[in-house]
Amino acid sequence: MEFQWNKEQQAFRATVREFLDRHLPDNWERIAHGPGSTAQSHFSRQFCANLAAAGLLVPHWPQRWGGQDADAWSAFILAEEMWAAGEPRGGQYMNVNWIGPTLMRFGSEAQQRRYIPPMAQGETLWCQGFSEPEAGSDLASLRTKAERNQDQYCINGQKIWTSYAAEAETCFLLARTGSGKKGISIFLVPMDTPGITVVEIPSLIGEGDIHEVFFENVMVPASAMLGEEGQAWDIVRTALSLERVGIPRFALASRMLRRAIAMLKQRNDFHHGAVTQAARAHAACEAARLFSYEIIDQRQKGNTVGAEASVARVATVNAERMVAEYVVEHLPEALAGGDPLLLAHHQRGIVAGIASGAAEIQLNLIATQLLQLPREPR
Amino acid sequence: MDFSPNPDQIALNSALDKLAENFKTPPTDFRRFALLDNSLDQALENGGFFEAANIPELGPVSAAMMVETLARLPYTAEVALSMLVRPQLEGDWPRPLALVENGRPGRFVAEAATLIILDGDQVGLLSAPAGATVKVESLFAYPMGKTKEQLAFTPLDNTQASRIRTWLRVALSAEVAGLLQSALDAATEHLRLRKQFGRPLGSFQAVQHRMAECAVLTRGVRLLALQAAWSGDAGDAAVAALHAQESASRAVYDLHQFMGAMGMTLEFPLHLWTYRLKALLSELNGRSAQAHAVSEYCFLDNSEKSDD
Repeated sequence: MEFQWNKEQQAFRATVREFLDRHLPDNWERIAHGPGSTAQSHFSRQFCANLAAAGLLVPHWPQRWGGQDADAWSAFILAEEMWAAGEPRGGQYMNVNWIGPTLMRFGSEAQQRRYIPPMAQGETLWCQGFSEPEAGSDLASLRTKAERNQDQYCINGQKIWTSYAAEAETCFLLARTGSGKKGISIFLVPMDTPGITVVEIPSLIGEGDIHEVFFENVMVPASAMLGEEGQAWDIVRTALSLERVGIPRFALASRMLRRAIAMLKQRNDFHHGAVTQAARAHAACEAARLFSYEIIDQRQKGNTVGAEASVARVATVNAERMVAEYVVEHLPEALAGGDPLLLAHHQRGIVAGIASGAAEIQLNLIATQLLQLPREPR
Repeated sequence: MDFSPNPDQIALNSALDKLAENFKTPPTDFRRFALLDNSLDQALENGGFFEAANIPELGPVSAAMMVETLARLPYTAEVALSMLVRPQLEGDWPRPLALVENGRPGRFVAEAATLIILDGDQVGLLSAPAGATVKVESLFAYPMGKTKEQLAFTPLDNTQASRIRTWLRVALSAEVAGLLQSALDAATEHLRLRKQFGRPLGSFQAVQHRMAECAVLTRGVRLLALQAAWSGDAGDAAVAALHAQESASRAVYDLHQFMGAMGMTLEFPLHLWTYRLKALLSELNGRSAQAHAVSEYCFLDNSEKSDD
């Protein structure tokens, strides 16, 4: 048992930090305010291209696809540092974490040749067409339909809460080709295909972040399907297992807690209650960090990770919430024209317990899989 | 980073598991608060388990794993201070050890050979003077005792005092982790079996979510305790102790709640873990003191970067 980084890992983290110091402009924290905004999306394209050139965009990918076969720890150290910096990769973190690896596993040769190199070079943005007005946590009830007509599919339906849709070139789209869970397929759909309309949803979480996406008689070739017809559920399960630990939100939460404490100390306002709450939030961040490392350790050893990943998610959601609430209580000016990164942290925290599997679903999984309590009758 | 025990630690854990097997079931007629069996203490002594922290291949993290494992048992013995604090003391202090905090009743005080005295900011070490302590009846499911009068002691220097406080925090966290796990297991078992409205209580989502939260807290306490035992860092220890006391105070209520009236009886052993947890809630001056220690050790500089 060992709770420290080895020399290579320390060096890798230092390299990532140096890169960030060199490449984040002075006004970065203002740009970071809207992760899906035009300003950040444009910045992220340049930033990711630079990251790729420095070998820091996809180090954990196979060499064949532009990576260096780096291990799970490197990928996570990279993710921690990027998230702590305000995620300058923007929506491209999805390519790096799961869209690229999913295409490597399930894509046709033509799909791989077309889509993977631009991801590895940091040149392209994807969006995830999963949720619908009637299909959130209950994803299997989605209704967007893809009907085959000879060598084409005609797609009709609506997606919602889609991040990065206004700036993305391609959508990783789930659509119904039959009934039930086995009747869902995945299509890789260029967002400039006629019949697609994107409408931004003004939200609490930042400029340009979530959208409705309408599909009206959108024609795609049969070759746009990822895997086989009806294989979506299996592919998505594998894809999400790549992203199980989720975003290392504790890394930015921890940094913002330190910033808040420094600000309170500076104005001589770090008093008894503020100290106690800060310590609790810090302990929650530390617990979340160790849970995540526990999962990465398992992944690195090639072991299957079960509901332990849900434990890490729940702990992370709790930690982020504690820090966000701390800032609201002790530094309310953060939400009123104050420090932009404290604001961005608050806004990103709003979705922490909702995006990529609601916290309540994680609690269900912990109860039934880890504690082996009986499932609730449905 | 490596979260798996090494081969020596695995061997020790399995030897301890074998020993613990004999102490897993309370006597069927047990209806009291504290459950003791001197043969547990004796078996641990004979097996050399108290020396683990000093063996380089094992180290204090191994001792913390053992404290966690032994805290899960219905039987109790003075294990945590002996395994985790004693190896850090200058000189050879006989066990068992007990903590006397501001003159309040404490665990194993009447049985202890060595007393660690916490009095305000001062820390002292004493061989327990004959006849200086007395047993106290309590709900706490530990043998409780207190000193008959305030004992004179020479305060230790700051370095020693601070090291003792750090390892007391590690010991507390490791023990809380095991107690929480057993309390959680007992309640989980009940929720799987007990049926109301035609289905197991554990199938109700309202119950499941609170139990899942307890599981998250319990696992977090364990990891933080192991990290603190591994590093011996004062900040890690303060974080672990704070999270342990926070989690104990949140989980104990829910676990009793879900056990219903059965959990109120001395027949069902839940109190062996929950009332030990309650004893640990107040130790080292409680949560607020741990929080201030976190602040003292972790929020020193204005850097936004963690120490990774």
